[in-house]
Formats: sequence, C-alpha cells, structure tokens
Amino acid sequence: MVTMDARCPKCHKIATFSGKPGERIKVTCPECGNWGWVTFNGSTSDRETAIEVSHLKKIYGELAAVNDISFSVRKGEIFAFLGPNGAGKTTTVEMIESIRQPTTGDIKILGEDIQMSFDKVKEKIGVLPQEFLSFERLTVQETLVYFSNLFQRHANIDSIIVSMDLKTSENMLYKNLSGGLKQRVGVAIALVNDPDIVFLDEPTTGLDPKARREVWEVIAGLRKRGKTVFLTTHYMEEAEYLADHIAIIHKGKIIAEGSLDELISRYGDESILRVKNCKSKGTIDILRSHGFEVKTEGNGNIAVRIDYKERVLEILSILKHECVDYDTIDIRRSNLEEIFLKLTGARLSEGAT
Amino acid sequence: MNLKFIKTDLILGIKSWLRSKGTVFWTILFPVLLIMIFGAIFSDTGNIEYDLVVQDLDDSELSEGFVYILKNISILTIIEIDIDEDITEYMLDEDKSVALQIPEDFSEKLQAYFVNTNASVNLTFYVDPSEQTTTGVIKSIISGMLYEYNMGLTQGKTVIGLEEEKTLGQNFTYIDFFVPGMIGFTIMTSMIYGSIERNTKYRKDGILRKLLTMPVTRAEWILSKMLFMLFLSFISTFVIILVGVLAWGLNIQINIFFFVIVICTSFMFSGLGMIIGRFVKEEETADMAGGAITFPMMFLAGTFFPLDQMPDFLQSVARLLPLYYVNEGLRNAMIHADLDKTLFFTGFVVAFTLIFFIAGVFLTKWKED
Ligand SMILES: Nc1ncnc2c1ncn2[C@@H]1O[C@H](COP(=O)(O)OP(=O)(O)O)[C@@H](O)[C@H]1O
Ligand SMILES: [Mg+2]
Repeated sequence: MVTMDARCPKCHKIATFSGKPGERIKVTCPECGNWGWVTFNGSTSDRETAIEVSHLKKIYGELAAVNDISFSVRKGEIFAFLGPNGAGKTTTVEMIESIRQPTTGDIKILGEDIQMSFDKVKEKIGVLPQEFLSFERLTVQETLVYFSNLFQRHANIDSIIVSMDLKTSENMLYKNLSGGLKQRVGVAIALVNDPDIVFLDEPTTGLDPKARREVWEVIAGLRKRGKTVFLTTHYMEEAEYLADHIAIIHKGKIIAEGSLDELISRYGDESILRVKNCKSKGTIDILRSHGFEVKTEGNGNIAVRIDYKERVLEILSILKHECVDYDTIDIRRSNLEEIFLKLTGARLSEGAT
Repeated sequence: MNLKFIKTDLILGIKSWLRSKGTVFWTILFPVLLIMIFGAIFSDTGNIEYDLVVQDLDDSELSEGFVYILKNISILTIIEIDIDEDITEYMLDEDKSVALQIPEDFSEKLQAYFVNTNASVNLTFYVDPSEQTTTGVIKSIISGMLYEYNMGLTQGKTVIGLEEEKTLGQNFTYIDFFVPGMIGFTIMTSMIYGSIERNTKYRKDGILRKLLTMPVTRAEWILSKMLFMLFLSFISTFVIILVGVLAWGLNIQINIFFFVIVICTSFMFSGLGMIIGRFVKEEETADMAGGAITFPMMFLAGTFFPLDQMPDFLQSVARLLPLYYVNEGLRNAMIHADLDKTLFFTGFVVAFTLIFFIAGVFLTKWKED
C-alpha cells in the first residue's frame, strides 16, 4: 500500500488517499464531495501493465525513426501517442504489433516478450492499421464474420455492430461507406476477438469534424468496456478529449508524458485572463494590490495569471467595483498545441485545428 | 490448420468476386466472346491451305487413284516428288512439315485383300514434330479420308492404315486449336491480376499488415487464396469448354493431364504475379507490368494462331515462354490425345510452376521494413 496526497480540483483542499502502486481508483473529496480519479505512483507490476516498451529503436539508413523510447501503458487506459506527421508514431505502434522488426529494444505485451511469443498475444489484441481499407465488396456484417473466423476468441458480432453504431449500414458494401463509417468498421474489425488491447493508428485522420466526433464516441466507449486503447494521433483535441495518458513524440523521441493535467501543470502556463481594450487607467495597480500577477501585453491587453479558477470571480468583481471600462474578457488555459510549440518550437499540426 | 477461416475466405471470396462486374467479365464473358468471334471468323477453314508432300513408291493405277483423291481435298496442296528423292531430306530442304509415303506394295496388298482379308498396308506419315498443329490438322484430314476410303473398299475393315496412327477420326478445326489456348490465356490473366491485387492493393490498404497481427499462418493464407484462384480457373475453363462444345461442336477429352495443367497454370501465374508485386509497389504500375508480360506472351505463345506460322526467330522465343507449354500441353491432352507430347509439355508446365510459385512465395515480403 502507498499513500498519496491529491488536491481537489474543486475546493483545492488536499486529501490523502491510499492504494496499491500503479492503481487507479475513484475517490471522493472529504471536503466538498466532488469525485475524481487518483492514480498511485510506484512501480507497476505486470498485472497492471498492458504494454511495456523499453529502449526501443528503429533506424532507417541515416534516420532514427524511433530513437530509444521507453514507456508503459496501463491496463484499462486510453494511451495517446501524440505527434506530428513523421514523428515515428506508426513505426512505434507497428513494432509493438510485431509488423516491423525493432532495431533494438524490448517490448512486452501483457507480460509476454513479443520477440519470443507474439503468437500467444495475437488473440488478445485488436489492430486498426493506419489508412486501413477492408475488402471492398463485402458487407459490414460479412467483413466482421470474415475477420472473426480468424480467431479462437470471439466477441458477439451483433453487439459490436450495435455498439459501433453500424446497425443501419450492416448490409452495405464496405466500398460504399463514408470515410467515417469505414473507420468505425475498422474499429469494429479490431474488436471481433474481444481483445484486451486495441491499437488504433490515426483513426480519425482525414475525417470531417462530425465523423471525427462519432469515432471519438466509439473510442470512449471502449474504455467503458474495460479495453486498453493505444491511440496514435496528430490531433491534440483528440488526445485531450480521449486520453488518460499522453506521450508526445517528436522526431523519434518522447519529449513529454503524463495525463493532460500533469502535462499542462508541468509544461503549460497557468490559465490567463485577458482584459481587452481596457480604457481605465490604474487597473493594473488595483489588480496587483489584490495580489494578482499582472502584465500588459504588446497589444495593450492586460493579462492576469489565474492560479485557481475561483479567482476569476474575484477579478470580475474588482473590475466591476472599480468601474473599469473594457471591451471583452477571455480566459484561456494552455493546451497541448502550446505545450508542443514550447517544447519543440514547431507546430503540432499544419492545419489550423 | 484453421479450416473455418479457409472456408469463410473461400465463400466470401466467391461472393465478392460475383459482385465485381469487371472481374466476372474478364474471367467469363471475355473468353466466351473471343471464342464466339474467332470461331465465327475461322469456322470456314476452306481458305486455309496446307502443303502435303506425297511420294508414291508404288506408282500404280491404284496408288495414283489414291493420290487423286488427296488432290481433291480442297485445303490440301499436294506436292508429288520422285521415287528416288529422299523424303526426309526433301522436307528439310523445302521446309515442309508433313509428308505421306505410299509403299511399293500398295496395290499388291490392296489386291491381296480381296483374296485374304487379313492383308493390310500402312502408309507412312512423316512429320516435323515441332510443327504439330499443322501436322495434327493434316493427319486428321488424311485419317478421315482413309476412313472413307476403307469404308468404300471393305465396308469398314481397315485395309489401308497410317503408321503411328493415334488420332482417331477427329476432325480438327480452328476452334479445337483455339479453345485450349483460350483456357491457358484466361487462367494466366486472372491469376496474374488476382495475385497482383493481393500483393499491392492489400499491402497498401493495410490488409497484409493486419494479417500479421492475427493468428493466421502464411500457409493458411496462401492455401485459401489458391483454393479461390483454382475455383476461378475451373469456372473459366468450364465455361470456355461448354461454349466451345455447344457453339462449335468442340471435341475434347478430359483426362488427368488436363487437370494437372489447369492446376499448375493457376499456381504458376499466381507465383508470377507475386514476383511482379514484389518489385512494383503501386497497383496501377503493377497492373501495367502484368499487361506488359501477359499481352506479348499471349501472341507469342501460340494462343491465337499456330506457332509454325510464325518466323523461326519468334518460334524460338515462344519456346522460352511458360504459356507456350501450357497451350501445347492442353492441346495435346485435350484435343490430340497424344500421350508422349502431353507428358513432354506437362513436364515443362510442372517445372515452370515449381520455379515461379516457390520464387513468388519466397520473394513476397510479408513483414514490413
Ligand atoms: N519503411 C521505411 N523506410 C524508411 N523510412 C521510413 C520507413 N517508414 C517510416 N520511415 C520514416 O520514419 C519516420 C517516421 O515515420 P512514421 O512512423 O510513419 O511517422 P508517423 O506515423 O508519426 O507519421 C518518417 O521520417 C518516415 O519517413
Ligand atoms: Mg503514422
């Protein structure tokens, strides 16, 4: 048993919890009754670890596509491997899936060294390769039967169809499906053997925002069913929306890793409240006199650092009380895009997402 | 062996094949169309003429009468040569592929027949074995003519025979020649393109990568795919033969060699497709490479017209092509019923099959880099 201190995100009181190393439990704040998840630090045993990668390397000629990375994925979590195109995501995930041979390094899936015994693991994993397209002239239902018959372990195909929201298209030919439906079928195919771990390589790339949302819901549903999900993506919103744990990969190296909150508190700035086009003099001094950290930005906006969200109300009431005249207010928290920019000097995605 | 998967793969493979109008066209309708068209064009064989060298050693009235009958066969041009000429040398010098020699005792034996019905006489048929299409046709014409001659003379008892007589009363037409070639060609194209699709499109679409993560062995995958390919081969072959028989009265023999050749051809060209897929990554480019191989091969290997009508140079090229051995093997097995030649060509077919299929399996890259 280990103990751990956690700060309630709502009332900011610190409480102590105890549990097994590596365990993730649901806790209730003793002060305000708010609940949340707590993950205990400490060495994680095989029983808790779905995937363990150590010192993995893949060299292509001069290029180290994957350059000595180590990480582990816990059972039941959605692990997002986030990085721009060419970062080494597919190379990594395909080495874990035993499709490519690592130059060096060890990979364990559910405690099995895949170099030695990948065959034992095959029944327990489901894979959606990058840009996967299935057989054009089979219906959705036939496709699932086809892949299902490759395995000893079977999930109920009808219930997969229902849970992936494919009921209305189950008798359509694969080639006639929209991009979003094709990806959902791809996820469904990855589930036919009721796998413990599901690998999804860029499942939403190329989809429109609505279709992307629908695939997200399907992936979020996998966690509810206790699956471990290894997700690669170059969309930071996808990682933010879905992931319990995020590893940011850049040029073959993992440059940051943790839960979204951990990443933001470690690498991000605090949230910033901006008062735009402030017309009253002395506002800065007034705010400073209340203990806020304030600076003026190039465009004349006043930026106030916010450490707890309750302090936003305090700022607003000061502004009102002092009859400060301004146009708008906006509050922003750091996001993964900013963290990535800060860590690498590069943008995560080419498009404006 | 995961039989359940192999069964599903076969059934769903057939289903999706039936849903693809394009492939159904190429494997079934296209050969049928060709047979109908070529059959119609060439069904009147009167305008094709064959040279037949005749040496009458007997030089009697009876033998002259026999030669006269030969001369009246419209598609034969009879070239008579002197008694002292060496018949095989003449054939070589003059580049003739068939000759018929009437023995000295022709009229003697024929007259003896009316005294002793056990008497008989054999004509000697000289053939250039490399030109078997022409020789087959001429031989069948002479056999037919002899049959009628004997009929008239003896009410059916054979008094004049042909040496090395194997083809019995068959009447070869162009369609007899064309149908085996069409079978070889159709199997070749559907195997090569099917195999290219599996090795380029399936790779690009991630299906091959996905297979690597699933409990299916390479052997199971290849086996189930080959079962499907054999299904296609036999469907095509069956339809081609059926149309040949119904529309043009094709006269064929189905024997073990026929099956051996059809099966081998399927494996051989699947192997060739795998080899192409190994070196050409894009599906479209690979299809073009497939066309670049199959199209000339179709013409050069004697699919549409007999090899001996081509220049010598091209004939030696044909002997390097696997399809040539398939075509000739099928013709000898199905039409000529010539066991020696069937064995000869089937042997080559088996050898080519082993080479191409094994090379294909070993060259195919299953894992990714
Ligand atoms: N088979 C290969 N041969 C050579 N280089 C490769 C190969 N596969 C990937 N790469 C290179 O490795 C790097 C990482 O690629 P990849 O893993 O596909 O990135 P991601 O999936 O993050 O977009 C890229 O620079 C890519 O060009
Ligand atoms: Mg990728």
